[in-house]
Amino acid sequence: GTSKRIKVLTRLTLVVSDPSHCNILRSTSANIRLFDIIAVFPKTEKLFHIACTTLDVDLVCINVTEKLPFYFRRPPVNMAIDRGIYFELLYTPAIKDSTMRRYTVSNALSLMQICKGKNIVISSAAERPLELRGPYDVANLGLLFGLSESEAKAAVSTNCRATILHGETRKSACGIVYTVKKPRKVEEEETTLPAFKKAKTQA
Amino acid sequence: MVRFKNRYVLCEVVSEDPRCRQCIEDRAVGLAVRDAIGRVHGDYGLACCSISFTVKYLNAYTGTVLLRCRKDSYRLLCSALPFVRQLESRNQRYPCALNTLHVGGTIRTCQKFLIQYNRRQLLRLLQNCTNEEERRCVQKSLLSCSLTEEQSQSGDEEDDGSPE
Repeated sequence: GTSKRIKVLTRLTLVVSDPSHCNILRSTSANIRLFDIIAVFPKTEKLFHIACTTLDVDLVCINVTEKLPFYFRRPPVNMAIDRGIYFELLYTPAIKDSTMRRYTVSNALSLMQICKGKNIVISSAAERPLELRGPYDVANLGLLFGLSESEAKAAVSTNCRATILHGETRKSACGIVYTVKKPRKVEEEETTLPAFKKAKTQA
Repeated sequence: MVRFKNRYVLCEVVSEDPRCRQCIEDRAVGLAVRDAIGRVHGDYGLACCSISFTVKYLNAYTGTVLLRCRKDSYRLLCSALPFVRQLESRNQRYPCALNTLHVGGTIRTCQKFLIQYNRRQLLRLLQNCTNEEERRCVQKSLLSCSLTEEQSQSGDEEDDGSPE
């Protein structure tokens, strides 16, 4: 049957360990606009607070490879949920190594206790193609992280879609005005045509 | 009615090495899955899941595996499947991954799902066919995909023309 093409998006992850690193996000430089999704990886409690409350990002990455140096508190997490920012958990370190698995599960569970399973996105940090897992399996991993079944399924599907849309609103003026780069992206019917049909209509 | 309820988990073995196909046998897969459950859920999890655990069906050509476990412990099994990293048999190790396709209560539902899934895979293969000869072969197997009840009873779950 028809298989839709895979859309490859670009993403920028900023590892911030100092408040001065965040300045790059405030200045509306042209480089930031090139990326579809912007994620930030805060290393300290203060930066986590800043990221959840004021920074213009789509994802806040949660460290899974070592013990968290700070505890999550409820006010910044609730503010992030209201602003539409999602928390990202990685699962490939858990597959590779058993000490990482312990840190992953404990950090994920402590996050769950504060945010009650809302606004979670599970992604892999795979370096090789064999480290990827199918969506059903990733949703099952969400169960291990303390999510309920419906939340785990949402973490793989609807939350990811919402993150992409959140990234798109940054390109337009709060999602009201869209700038069209290529005519292909405007209509959704065109992207669902299979490749050979598309070639025929364009030829 | 008192009856033991089982869950059948249908998965697919994904690997980059083509030699891994020969290594796919029921004992190797069973050991790999048990090992993963032991690593993730510990001794308790391993004991829970191994009450009625077997590999019911295996197709080395397409890499399809059907596992059975008790209904009470299927969550432990499903959550441990992503942690399977390699298959080992005859002193050969191949890195691989298991991809869960479907969880069903009976073998019949898993079979129906597998037929639909294979039909979709065949359609996708048809698009990528380069040779006219291959194209005709695939089209013939696609057309013979529709089963009647008697045929499906004979355990014919693979309809892509490959011998079992």
